[in-house]
Amino acid sequence: MEAREYDIVCIGAGGAGVTAAITAAAAGARVLLLSKDPIGYGNTRIAVGVVASCGILPADSPDVFYEDLVVGGEHLNNPKLARVMAEEAALAPAIAESQGALFARDAGGGISRGVAMRAGGHRYHRSVKAHGKGIGLSQALRAAAARSAVDVLEETVTVRLLSDGGRIAGLVAWDLAAGAPVVVRAPAVILATGGLGWMYYPHTDCMRSATGDGYALGYEAGAELVDMEQVQFLPFSCTHPASMVGIFLGEPSFVGPQGRLLDAHERELLVGMETMTRAQVSRVMALELRKGNGTKHGGLLLDLRQNLETPRGRAAWQTMKDVGLLDIAKRAYGPKAYAWQEPWDVVPTVHFHMGGLRIDEHGATSLAGLYAAGEAAGGVHGACRLGSVALAELFVFGRRAGLAAAEFARGADRPPLPRDEAAEAAANVARLPGARGEHRPVTLVRQLQRLMWDKVGAVRDETELSAAVAELRSLADQARSLRLGPERRQSLDLLDALELRLMLLTADIVTRSALCRQETRGAHVRADYPDRDDARWLANIVARRQNGGLSLAVEPLAGVQ
Amino acid sequence: MTDHMISISVERSDPERGREPAIETYEVPAEAGATVLGALLHIYETCESSPAFRCGCRNQDCGLCAVDVNGRPRLACITPLRKGMVIRPLRRLPVARDLIIDRRWIMPFLERFDLFVRDGGLREWPPRLSAPAEHARLAACTECLSCLAACPSFEAGRDEIGGPYHFVKLAQLYWDPRDGADRRAQAALLGIARCPACRKCACPLGIPVYRAAVAPLAGVR
Repeated sequence: MEAREYDIVCIGAGGAGVTAAITAAAAGARVLLLSKDPIGYGNTRIAVGVVASCGILPADSPDVFYEDLVVGGEHLNNPKLARVMAEEAALAPAIAESQGALFARDAGGGISRGVAMRAGGHRYHRSVKAHGKGIGLSQALRAAAARSAVDVLEETVTVRLLSDGGRIAGLVAWDLAAGAPVVVRAPAVILATGGLGWMYYPHTDCMRSATGDGYALGYEAGAELVDMEQVQFLPFSCTHPASMVGIFLGEPSFVGPQGRLLDAHERELLVGMETMTRAQVSRVMALELRKGNGTKHGGLLLDLRQNLETPRGRAAWQTMKDVGLLDIAKRAYGPKAYAWQEPWDVVPTVHFHMGGLRIDEHGATSLAGLYAAGEAAGGVHGACRLGSVALAELFVFGRRAGLAAAEFARGADRPPLPRDEAAEAAANVARLPGARGEHRPVTLVRQLQRLMWDKVGAVRDETELSAAVAELRSLADQARSLRLGPERRQSLDLLDALELRLMLLTADIVTRSALCRQETRGAHVRADYPDRDDARWLANIVARRQNGGLSLAVEPLAGVQ
Repeated sequence: MTDHMISISVERSDPERGREPAIETYEVPAEAGATVLGALLHIYETCESSPAFRCGCRNQDCGLCAVDVNGRPRLACITPLRKGMVIRPLRRLPVARDLIIDRRWIMPFLERFDLFVRDGGLREWPPRLSAPAEHARLAACTECLSCLAACPSFEAGRDEIGGPYHFVKLAQLYWDPRDGADRRAQAALLGIARCPACRKCACPLGIPVYRAAVAPLAGVR
């Protein structure tokens, strides 16, 4: 099989991937940008398009930003990564605009408090709004990729990373549109594969493509993962109709000064949510739902009515209208919901993943030649991410990973391609179309998603997590016998089958990391360990492959002595 | 609870394997709030040989799921499901299989027409800029390609015969204060003079495609 030759392959073409790829290409590397979705898609495309910056207000500074990050992240952040994020946040919108994005300006053409947002968990107004929201950012990313010397391969799913003697050597992928394998030899690979929201479908507001591929690919190749139990739930999403379950309805900073959370019996559970983190509100909701105080649709009630009596409350309504959330409420619940005249039925939804590939300040993982950026990487946000920092992270860490990978590739000799392994991986895919085993891939994928929501959701305990580990093992056994349609091109069966293999690995790591962390911190809530335990658990959970199996280690917080 | 079931039809084809377009009928649950995308997902989950389709965000943000419903381009994720609906791939675009249209021509198109702002590098940020309202409106285009499917003068695969989507891409830059290229000349190359101003290029999200993109590039007031 003919292998393509590159200096760097970047997997994933949302904000982190495109930024990394074009930065590396500008530094002289020959880069292939390979993406499951078209270039510029991924979750970047469907984001609200608000990007954190720093220093729009004179009182703001990287030091304040850093404090916000670690307070919000409940001190689980990797201090070095959080420091980089804070120091370089002001670069994020500048990088995006250099790609062609445009952020809303004031009447004088500048960026000032009036056009900036104070997103959830931030002390100051420091986040800026992109024209066209995430779509606008995403179109600029695609344009910047077109402008750059990178080669692109869209609609292609990576199935295995190849390594040789502890170094990256290339990868094997499957071109979904052409229905053919792709083998690439390269001394450096950047994982910018985004998060894992789809592992919780329908309880997610993420793209269908967010199946956590990069975590499993990196783990399999020998790289370390960190704090994989930290799955972020946004507190408010639709509970019905079925086609809209999990669709984002807002976060705490949007609910106005008089927003209240009620249970099904209209008992007040929370007020003053505006200044609470996503984790704090989601936690209260998950615990109430577990007590059986939910509505018949499995949600709680977000009552925004009293906001309409105050100017600041009415401004909150306007903000929700501007970002499109009221339209969603109207489609799900009708015109009274749009007008905030009746409470919304809401349930937490998976939005983001704080854990991921363990990286240094330059995006390097523990495996030589393997880099990660964006949601695929862990550690910047600790146990809870603040609003608008994910988009900023894409540009800041995408750029860093691109520069570092280019530098690495320049100095590296090229490991030989492990040809047998590559041929085996490609053959494993090619034999799937038309396979006549027992289980359809989508059936197992839906079982995995259901299991993650039920047992590895916003509240966890040892009994359910242990059951989840066993059920995942059983699913992995069933996944040995798959039944697929004969098509090779644009086959949903085949895509689900390839993602299923990776999701089973990622789900196992998430579940066992959650079992390991015997405390409640940020997005990780243990009903059997309801308190934060700094004496024991101000520590990272590091997952790695050892002797063919998962090994978890509890390590002192990176960078802290 | 048993859902009320209804029939819908889906056009299937597989050019790769020489299968001509043919209509197949499926029974799907029609619960309150059901959408076309929900029906396609249901068919996929329950039928061994399901039509192929695209699904992204389920919430009208990504533009991937556009299909033809009863002769009109629609985003499957926000289109209410009705009895007897006929679902086809978007018209006038090359079909890869079933409801999936080819999308790989877009990157080469962007490259050929230099559809990007020139790289100014990382400068002091933020530069003072002011962009007209049209810029923000057009930046929200999800590239679902519904406008192309509805355009009577567009022909796929021929550069000299562009359609509304092509003009939206040009106009995004035409309204960008940083772009210095002659986008109207490019629109002429793409055959904007052929536009009959029929305004069938209606956008599912309400972007004024003709008024904000086509007319300004064509020099129509």
